[in-house]
Amino acid sequence: MKKKEIMIDVDHVSMRFNLGIEKGFSLKQAFVDLFNKEKRKKRKNNEFWALKDVDFKINKGEVVGFIGSNGAGKSTLLKVVAGVMKPTKGKVDVYGNVCPMIELGAGFDPQLTARENIYLNGAVMGYSKELIDSKFDEIVEFSELRDFLDVPVQNFSSGMVARLAFSIATIVEPEILIVDEILSVGDIAFQAKSEAKMMQMIGGGTTVLFVSHSIEQIKKMCERVVWIEHGVVQKIGGKEVCDEYMRKMGVENDELYK
Amino acid sequence: MKIINNLKYTYKKYGFLLQQLVSRDFKVKYKRSVLGIFWSLLYPILMMAVMAIVFSNVFRMSTPGVSYLAYLMIGLTFFNYFSEASNLAMSSVVSNFSLINKVYIPKYIFPLSKCLFVGINFLLTLIPLYAVIIFTGTGLNWWHLLLPFSFVCLFLFTVGMGFILSTISVFLRDMFYIYGIITTIWTYLTPIMYDISIINPTLQFIMKFNPMYQFINFARTIILYGNCPTIGQFAGCFVSAIVIFFIGIFVFKKNQDKFIYYV
Repeated sequence: MKKKEIMIDVDHVSMRFNLGIEKGFSLKQAFVDLFNKEKRKKRKNNEFWALKDVDFKINKGEVVGFIGSNGAGKSTLLKVVAGVMKPTKGKVDVYGNVCPMIELGAGFDPQLTARENIYLNGAVMGYSKELIDSKFDEIVEFSELRDFLDVPVQNFSSGMVARLAFSIATIVEPEILIVDEILSVGDIAFQAKSEAKMMQMIGGGTTVLFVSHSIEQIKKMCERVVWIEHGVVQKIGGKEVCDEYMRKMGVENDELYK
Repeated sequence: MKIINNLKYTYKKYGFLLQQLVSRDFKVKYKRSVLGIFWSLLYPILMMAVMAIVFSNVFRMSTPGVSYLAYLMIGLTFFNYFSEASNLAMSSVVSNFSLINKVYIPKYIFPLSKCLFVGINFLLTLIPLYAVIIFTGTGLNWWHLLLPFSFVCLFLFTVGMGFILSTISVFLRDMFYIYGIITTIWTYLTPIMYDISIINPTLQFIMKFNPMYQFINFARTIILYGNCPTIGQFAGCFVSAIVIFFIGIFVFKKNQDKFIYYV
């Protein structure tokens, strides 16, 4: 029997945001606080726990879906795993290189051409020059943007930007892939193509963390599902968690989501 | 040895990104400009010309024994590097929040890339500087080979300042405005267009603690007076650069994990 290899170990992670800080500090506020002690106290204690004691392990090759309502903490969790945020408590161990596909195209410079952006964005994703050189044609081919290679990205439509970004992001097979609601990019043909590409990556042994509001997609792709609500893990399990989540949300009828 | 290996690893991993960020800045800077990179050569000359006309004719500034043009040009070259690089570095973290928020990238790479980008520009402005040196008959000497020492010190100092400023500006966006004022004051507190000997001795003494004065004075000693800088001058440059560089690293490193909450 193949031994299970742990890829991601989320160890009692809690994440605190201070909403007082979030809103920024200004002179006006300081002035108001000076005379109003209560308000100052309130602002100081205006904490928000985006994640509370989240604890799970993910094995190599697993495809794990994350569900929960808006603002439940899914994206925060993925950011912690990607290393973008350090958890307030607990720790995350990641064994392998992570490719975060959270909001594609964040690394683009609108003034540069598609060609230049492939290199720039590739570098942001941590690719080497040799790798991009060798995969350049593949990226262009997959994005179907060969005719627009020397056009500045600011003149692209959002669909085109998303295509380019997806093609760059998926050109290597990372050990861990983090996907946050991106399969809905591009037109229908490209959606099908990107989904096929994802499936191929999953089949290739990549560990995938997947956030989506499309329960159908989660059911189709994921073998394990983590349900988060208000920063707390409600349930971890197989696809049956999806059904439970839907019932809880008052959506009895699966048909709604089809 | 461990530090060197660490640096090697970091360079291998992020060197290409650094290179891409610097070349991005270059491409964007001269996009759709007719003269393109020639601006890097032309701009300092024009700046110098304007200031030379104003200060030598209107304010009757002069530097006895040496060419005022060359004197001015050295100060401008150094100070322009510092003010442009530190300003860009200051805003680099904030303006790249959309990236920092999504992908893990070492954050110091943004201020560093700005300092390098302006640094390459600085090397280009050495061409007009040398044109002025030759044109004014100031002449060359072998001590010029020591000039890179002051360049390196200037760079380290600016990187350190960039780290400090970019950290502060994350927490306090007012810094963008405050620093604009500070740079203006700093320009006048550095003997760029006037000779330090025209001010009173107490103030002169205080001014020597200005690192920018140290770097500029080092270069002037070589270029204008043809002397080898004294040990004190070497030490002045080195210490001010290293101290600010390490303070910068310390401040940045200590705060960088908090940046994400101030998006």
